[in-house]
Parts: sequence; structure tokens; C-alpha cells
Amino acid sequence: MTLLFCVCFLLGGSATAQSPAPITFEADIQPLLTRFGCNSGPCHGKSRGQNGFALSLLGFDSDFDYAALIREGRGRRVQVESPANSLLLRKPTGQMPHGGGKKLEANGPFYKMIEDWIRSGAPRTPADAPRIVKVASEPASHSLKPGSSIGLKVVAFYSDGTRRDVTEGSAFSSNDNTVATVGGNGIVKAGVLPGEAAIMARYMNHITVTGITIPLAGTPAASAYDVLASGHPIDGHVRDKLKVLGITPSQLATETTWLRRAYLRVIGKLPTPEEVLSFLSDKDLDKRAKRLDLLLDRPEYADFWANKWADLLRPNPFRAGIKATRGIDAWLREAFRANMPYDQFVTALVTAQGSSWRNGAAVLFRDRPEPVEIASSVSQLFLGVRLECAKCHHHPFEVWSQDDFYGFAAFFSRIGRKGQGLSPPISGGEESIFTRDSGTIMHGRTLEPVGIKLLAGAALTVPAGDDPRVQLATWMTDPKNPWFARVMANRVWRELMGQGIVEPVDDIRATNPATNAALLDQLADQFRRDGYDIKKLIRFISTSRAFALSSIPNERNGGDLRNFSRYYRERFRAETLLDAVNDILDVEETFSAMPPGSRAVELWTYRASSLFLDTFGRPDPNQDPPCERTSDSTTPQVLHLMNSPALNGKFSLDKARPARLAASKETDAAIVNTAYLHTYGRLPTAAEANAALAAFPGLGKNRRIAVEDLFWALLNTPEFVFID
Amino acid sequence: MSVYSNCEGISRRDSLSLGLGALLGGGFVGALRARQNAGQPSTPPTSCILFWLDGGPSHIETFDPKPDAPAEIRGEFKPIATRVPGMFFSENMTRLAAISHKLTIVRSVRHDQNNHGAGNHYMMTGAPTRIPVSCGAFVSFHPSMGSVTSAERGAPGGLPAYFSIPSMTRSGGPNFLGSRHAPFVVSDDPNQSVFSVRDVTIPRELNDSRVTGRRELRTRLDQLMRFQDRAAGDPVRGMDENYTQAVSLMRSAVAQRAFEVHREPDRVRDAFGRNSLGQRALLARRLVEAGVPFVTINDGGWDHHSNIFPAFKKQGQALESVVATLIEDLDQRGMLDTTLVLVMGEFGRTPKISTLPGSTTPGRDHWSSAISILVAGCGTPRGQVVGATDRNGYAATEKIYGPENLVSSIYTKLGIDPNKILYGANGRPAHIVSDPRTIAELM
Repeated sequence: MTLLFCVCFLLGGSATAQSPAPITFEADIQPLLTRFGCNSGPCHGKSRGQNGFALSLLGFDSDFDYAALIREGRGRRVQVESPANSLLLRKPTGQMPHGGGKKLEANGPFYKMIEDWIRSGAPRTPADAPRIVKVASEPASHSLKPGSSIGLKVVAFYSDGTRRDVTEGSAFSSNDNTVATVGGNGIVKAGVLPGEAAIMARYMNHITVTGITIPLAGTPAASAYDVLASGHPIDGHVRDKLKVLGITPSQLATETTWLRRAYLRVIGKLPTPEEVLSFLSDKDLDKRAKRLDLLLDRPEYADFWANKWADLLRPNPFRAGIKATRGIDAWLREAFRANMPYDQFVTALVTAQGSSWRNGAAVLFRDRPEPVEIASSVSQLFLGVRLECAKCHHHPFEVWSQDDFYGFAAFFSRIGRKGQGLSPPISGGEESIFTRDSGTIMHGRTLEPVGIKLLAGAALTVPAGDDPRVQLATWMTDPKNPWFARVMANRVWRELMGQGIVEPVDDIRATNPATNAALLDQLADQFRRDGYDIKKLIRFISTSRAFALSSIPNERNGGDLRNFSRYYRERFRAETLLDAVNDILDVEETFSAMPPGSRAVELWTYRASSLFLDTFGRPDPNQDPPCERTSDSTTPQVLHLMNSPALNGKFSLDKARPARLAASKETDAAIVNTAYLHTYGRLPTAAEANAALAAFPGLGKNRRIAVEDLFWALLNTPEFVFID
Repeated sequence: MSVYSNCEGISRRDSLSLGLGALLGGGFVGALRARQNAGQPSTPPTSCILFWLDGGPSHIETFDPKPDAPAEIRGEFKPIATRVPGMFFSENMTRLAAISHKLTIVRSVRHDQNNHGAGNHYMMTGAPTRIPVSCGAFVSFHPSMGSVTSAERGAPGGLPAYFSIPSMTRSGGPNFLGSRHAPFVVSDDPNQSVFSVRDVTIPRELNDSRVTGRRELRTRLDQLMRFQDRAAGDPVRGMDENYTQAVSLMRSAVAQRAFEVHREPDRVRDAFGRNSLGQRALLARRLVEAGVPFVTINDGGWDHHSNIFPAFKKQGQALESVVATLIEDLDQRGMLDTTLVLVMGEFGRTPKISTLPGSTTPGRDHWSSAISILVAGCGTPRGQVVGATDRNGYAATEKIYGPENLVSSIYTKLGIDPNKILYGANGRPAHIVSDPRTIAELM
């Protein structure tokens, strides 16, 4: 340092003569390392560096980076006495072999900037110099015509209240290059097609996003939005967004389409013919809201929503044990039966204590028992924050550092265990979770003990004997928590509407923006105001016109798959579909580990085998790679509906509905109506009824085969398999 | 916007009764046309069998040993000489070493996506993810190699053109190409004594006329409106494509026969190994014989953050034995010249051995700067190494290629022009691969 200081002193004059503000490390040079990707994950930002040269990921550790450049590498990286020989200049310009290729133009402006900095003695930015508080891009959002451009400006805000244009040192990227591209200079160019893109700008380890909108050409009539003029806050937000995009909403769906949708989305079950007919004949103007209230009070509600949560929380039975798997499933179902408010639900899970055989909530801590594993899943599940990257390094596209991660994981450091731990593949024993008086976890990099710290918040002191998880739950469920209500509101919205406002639903961050932030905020507010009552949130969403729109596109919304200008079709979940088939045919499924008459939605373990459920994409946590739930339709599914021996056998059972209807006194036409009501939730049109009746053998003949084939045909059409 | 009641311009019933189902799904004629467009009118059709090692296999424990590196990099295994002078593998790759004169090893593919979700996507599609994705993600922004091959090549005889065994890979989907180019997944285990691909034959108790009657009735009653505009992303049209494919598969004697692994002599079945992976590789070979152009074998469990050395003794040897048997089998049948065999995962592993917090045994972490890939067949030069990494295995230093170049090479070998533009929903153009340059040493 002494030598550096002297050189600095000798050369300082010329540097300041060239530029009014001295070029310093943190303020000027480090941002270039980010801009050119030098400190990115696959290059020198990897925790162990690249070819012996390591930088902190995206420049979060200035001391480390400065030492790497100046002190390590035997002084070859930065050579003050001969700047042009510095590896920092020779490598990225390709004058010496460089694994990362040519990154910098020799003698270009950035080259000169680095050269000047070295010549001036490679000074650091003074410690008392203002620090960056945040970075913002201007404009924050902008509407472009196809083919036109706009230049973005990136401004850094400093702790002394000053701001500085840092566009030059920023790195840009577009999340959809087919909609809009962005150059290294921050010039955004719109493509030829309408759409939306998020332009991310990164300056140092700060990120900012500009939303670019390319509206559909032409101006729709104001009346095109009348269908959303309901006064419901959701419809207002949807309409506002659609207007920005020049998209118009579809018309309302038919009454029967709405009814079938409501049943499938709220309780995961088809309406019976009686329920359809009573709804159609009901003249009450408020009949939809009333029907929703009835549905929310049905016992099927609890099993349906608990089953969705089981997708998220159900452990691998080969690891956690079969009794523990049963326990958490029962706990979830009871929580939804009681309509446990969501804050209490999460608190009970996060602070759970006791036996894995007695308290189902405690099983949360069994399958993946380490504090770092629990931290990753708790933050993702309940906050929509993906922390796992920060376990090993600074999060590459978020604000999270390793300190944040380990500080959060430390909330789980006092979890104590008694009894039998994991011993896969059997793990049958009982384990008790309790809170120890104290406990520490070690930082992954420094290997020092880590204190408990809130995400984006302060360090906490938790007295010995207290459970830090209680404080964590209090902080998470506090109305001021920016994530908690939003992520659940987004989940519930996705389950009702077929598409999240943010996708994936548990990945909420600036670089993965919500398609309608005002709408998501509204839902979260409403959820908080209603005391985190999940049923009220479902009712709030499903009473909107947005939930009632037709799936059929119009001239101005065909390409919209994210803004809810129409309802989005989705195939039934595996369990819903199997239960629907059995309900329609009036037959029972036989599952292992379940009492007779059980429904697929009541299954508590994937070890209860079902080819049907596997074919239609139920998740399997015991696969490697793990098998996530899928909602795509596939050829094996179509084949299974057509040819599965087990399913085909059901159509022809003597006790099944087709045989019984055939033997009944009902007319052929009445049987056709019944079949349509069961499968499609509506009556057939005259043409459909005629087409169906044409396959009947005529008066006095045995019609059993005709009825079986009618049910087979209807169950193999998309109108049965999809929520429309 | 126009909407109509059926997916295709002509009714499915007509086309199926004419036996033309396969044409709707791309079909053999389409494949011939694609081949002619690519300027290769007379070469026999080529195929690809991809062993996908999900998790990211270590390059150092497979095809890029580093004997001169310090102990904390070199690991427990020694290099072994192969039949090709100067070409060394890690010591567990004995059977592949014995046939190294039939292989090319590429040691210098690299990319910049260091988590499973993004790495899977890049290597499986040749395109990086549009937005950052997280580690466990299953994402699709671009059609996978298998789906593009299905769209551009098709398969004869009612067979799906893209199989994935026993499950779909994370980014192995069709994206905008649509459901008919999704992989046909065979999850049943061909090592079971009663293996069959389920549901591809009509139920035994039904006669043909009843089945035909049911299908005709279904067609008449299927009145749900379809959205013609591709941008509308109507999933019902996906199911229509699946239905078309399902019916042609059921009618395909070629397909039924390809599934009958038990027709293979015991000698062959034993050579592949009486285990799931071995018999799946054998099924893949039978599918290729029947004309399927792309088969992925999805093999999980290669994310060796811990326990890497015992794992490679067991899992590594099990895999290399199956791969070596397959390559020899193909060569003996004269099929190696038309069948491309690939072994790869989403990335390599960190050269420096680490023990992560919470772990008790050493392993290696994600490392996308150096990836080793085994390539054999389909005109690939035999017995060569392409590229190199530095002394410690950190970075590709010679003949550095990206996933785009690898994927472009695979497409070119399959008779598909990597520079072709496909049109996604909304009519947005997308090149099949953004950089159509191939790895010259493979061609």
C-alpha cells in the first residue's frame, strides 16, 4: 500500500487534470466488472473464482474485490507503473488468452477509464464517500409503438441525497426479446408485435426494472369494457390494465359454464344434474354469490384445498415415514375444515413442536431437517422469496446475500430433536421437535456463527429459552410484511383463474414482475382486511366479472394469456378428474390405505398407487428428478381415457350408472339429457341430442350398449376434461 | 376472430379412416420434405439417443480426468488409458475406454447458467432462459431438441417422433410447437417380466366395430369450440393433437412391435443388463430401429454435491456399461452410422472438491464453464477428443463451444437446418438455434 500511495501521489495530478472527478474503485471500476459480466456466476464471480482470480458475485464485497485486483496475482493484475501491461486490461481485450473471450475494446472509452484509474494509482473510493441506497431506471414504465425506441436512464441514489446518472456503467437485459430488445447503451427497441416486456438494468448489485408496453394498434370503443363495469375492485384493476394494452375483455360465459367452473374451482367437483337445473331455474339476481357461499360451506371444500397444500407440504414418505406423512395430511385437512385463518395456519406450521406422530404440523421439520433447508422452503412457500441461491453466494438477480440467508436460517437454529431421525428408505420412527435454550448455525462461507436476522431487516436478539420461530411468525404475519399476503393472494388467484398474476406463483421479485401489480396489491389488502380468511378471499375473487368471463377470444384479446381479458381453460387436476369419472359413472375406486368409498382427493400418500393419477400428472416426491404436478395434456392421458382396462371395466358394470339408466323407465331423450348434465353440466342442444339419439337402437330394444357408449364418448371429449 | 368447432381443417374422422393420421402430425412425407430442403435428398434417415444425466455429471470423474491437479481437485480416481493413444478417461469408465476408438469426447462446451433449471433449459433447447429462473425449476421458453426433431422430421408408421423414457426431462417440452411434439413418455419398466406400454391397444373385451362406433360418436358429440388463433394458446387443441397421435399409435403395428422388448434374444437383453436402465436403452434402440428420430433416456441423480466417489463407483459404472453396450450393439447392426448417441447433463462439476454445510461427505458443485460430452455415431469421427480444459479443469481453453453449437450439430446430423426460423404463438419468429454454427470436429 505504501508503494501505491507514493505512485498515487506522483501521478495524481495528471489524473485529476484529465477529469474533474477522480476515478475510484467502488464508484467507477467495480460497476464495470458487473457490466461486462466479469463478476458473474460462471466467471470470476463463482465462489472459488476462475483460474485463480476470484471476485465477489456481482460486486457485493468491495474489500474482497479490491484485494483480488491489487494484492493477489503477484501484482500483475493492476500495474500502476505500466497500466497497459495490467492483466485487467490485457485479458479482457484479448491481448492475452482469456477464457471468457474478448469483453473490452482496446482504447475504447471503458478501456481508457480503467487505464486512467490505474495510472492515478488505482485509488479506492473514500470510505466516507456516499454509498448507493438504490438504483432506479427512468422511465419506470413506458408505452412504445411497434418499431419505435426509447433510451433508458439509470440513476443511482446515494446516502448523501445526491444522484448520479449511471447508465453507462449499467448492464441491461430484456425478459422477452421478441417483444422488445435492449442494447448495452440502454436503448430499448420495440418489436413489431404488441406485448409487454420487462427491461432489467443492473448497476453493481442493484437491480431496477422498466416495464415496456407495446399496445395493440387502434382504439377500441369505450363500450367494449362495459362487461367489467361491475363496481367490483378486481374488475376495475383488470379493466385498467387491458385499456393500457388496447386489449378488450371477452363476453360473459354462459350460466352453466360459470356454474361448472365455480364448482370445479371451489370444491373440485362437478355439479349434479339437480344442482344445474335448480341454478338455471333460480330467478334470484344474487344467485351466483349465494351458490358460492353454499359451495364454501361444503365439506368437499376442505379436502380440495388441503390437497393443493399437500402438493406443497407433503413429505416424501420414504424419508419422513408413513405415519408422519399421514399426520401432516390430516392436519392440513382439519385446518381447512376449520377455515383456520391463514396467519394462524402459517404460525402453527412455522412454530410447530411435538411428536411427528401426534402433531402433523411438526412434520414440516422432518423431511428436510437442516435449518438451511427449512429456511429455503419457508421463505419460498410463505413469502414467495427464493433464498436458496443465497445459501452459496449472493443471489444473482435479487438483493439477497449470504448474510440474509444464514440470518434467516438462524431462526431455525434452536430446533431440537428427540427420538428417531431420518433413516431412509424406512424412517418409521417417532421424532419430537422441541425448542432448545440456544443454538447457532454457521455461515456457509465464513464458518462463523450467524445471528438471527430478518429478511431485509435488522438483527434480532432472542433471549435464551425463547423460540425465535415465534418472532419469525409474528414478523411474517404482520400486516406490514410486504410478501406474506401477496404470495397467498397470488396462489389463490391462480387456483381460481388458471394463471397467476405472478408466475411461478412463489417467485415474487422485481425481475419477475406481476402482470398487474395494482390487482395483486388489492387482493393482498383485501386478504389482510378480512383477517386472512381464505374463504373470503376465494369469494372475493370468484364473485368478480373477471371470474365470469368467457374463454372465447374476441378480435382484440386472442394473444392475451396473462392479463385476464378472458378466462383461461385448464385441464382438471388428476384427482378431480378421477373423482369426476367415478361420480358420473356412480362407481367407487378402491385405493390401498383408504377405507371403501374414499375419493381420490382424500388420498394422503402417493404410495397409494393409481395409474390414472400418475398418468394425469399427480406429483411424486420420490422421483429423481422430482416429479412436479403437471396440467398439460399428453398422448398417454388420451390413451388412458380411451383404453385403460380398469376404466373401461367401469363403463360396463351392472351397478354403474349407464347400465342402471338403460334398465330404467327413462326415455332415450331423458337419458341423453342426464348424461349431458352429468358430464358437461348443461343440457344438450337439439343437434347434439339428435346426434346422441341416433346411436340408440330404438323402442323396445336393449339400449345398454348405446348408453355405455354415450357415456364413453362424452368422457373422452375435451369438454369433459377441461374447465372452460 | 374466427373460431370453429374442430381442430384441423378436415375432420379427424375422415383423415383417420383414410389412415392418414400420421400426416397431420408432421409425418414421414414431411420428414422427406425437410430433408430435401436441407439439401440431403438421398441419405438414410438418422436418429438420436440422448442419455440425459439430470443433475450435471462431473467431467473430472468421467471423460476429463486431471491427474496433474492438486489432490483437492484431482479426486480419488486415477485416469486410465483408452484404446486411443493419448486419450484418458477416469478409472470407472472402463468399458467405454475399451471402445474409445468409436467415440468422440467433447471437453470444451461451456455456458453461463449455473443452476439446474436454467442449465437444463440451455443444454436441452440450445437457448438460454429468457428470464433468470431458480434452481429446481422446470421451465420452457423454447422447444426442446426432441420436440423440434418431432416437428421437422416426424416418424413413420403412426409412431410418435419423440420419446422420453421413463419421464420427461425438465425442459424437454415442445413449448410453442404444441402438444403433438411433446415427448411420448414410457414410464413402464421394460425390465419387468410383464412389460407393455400401457393403453396403446383397445381393451380386450371390446370388438372392433364397437370401438369404431364409439369413436364416431365421440367425433359427432365433440362440439366444444376451438380457438383457431395459435396465439390464444388453446390447450384443447393440444388435446386434439394428442388424440390424433393416440389413434395412429393404436393402429400402428410398427409401434406395437417396437415396444416388445421381450422379442430380443436373451443374449442381447443380458448384454444390456437386466436392470431398468439397460432395458430402457434396449427399448430406445428398438424405437430407433422402427424409425423414431429422437429418444431421450432421462436418468436422474447426478447432482453429486456429496458422496461423489462412492456414487461414481456404482452409478457411474452402471451407466457406462449400458452406454458401451448400446454403442457396440448399434455398431454391430450397422446402425451406428445413422444413430447419434449422446451422453450429457446440464453442466459439469466444480473442480475443487467441497463439503457443503450440512453435509458429511465430499462432493462437487455446479460448474458450467467446463462440460464433457460423449458423442458417437452418425458420422461423428471415431476416436477423437475435441477441445480441452485447463490443468485443473476449471475452464474450457481450446475449441470453446456453446450449447448453441452442440445443439446445431445435433440438428444438422438429424437433417434439420439449425438456421431455420420457426414461428411461435403470435407469429413471433424464432430461429431454431440462435447460433447455427456446428462443432466442426463432429461433422
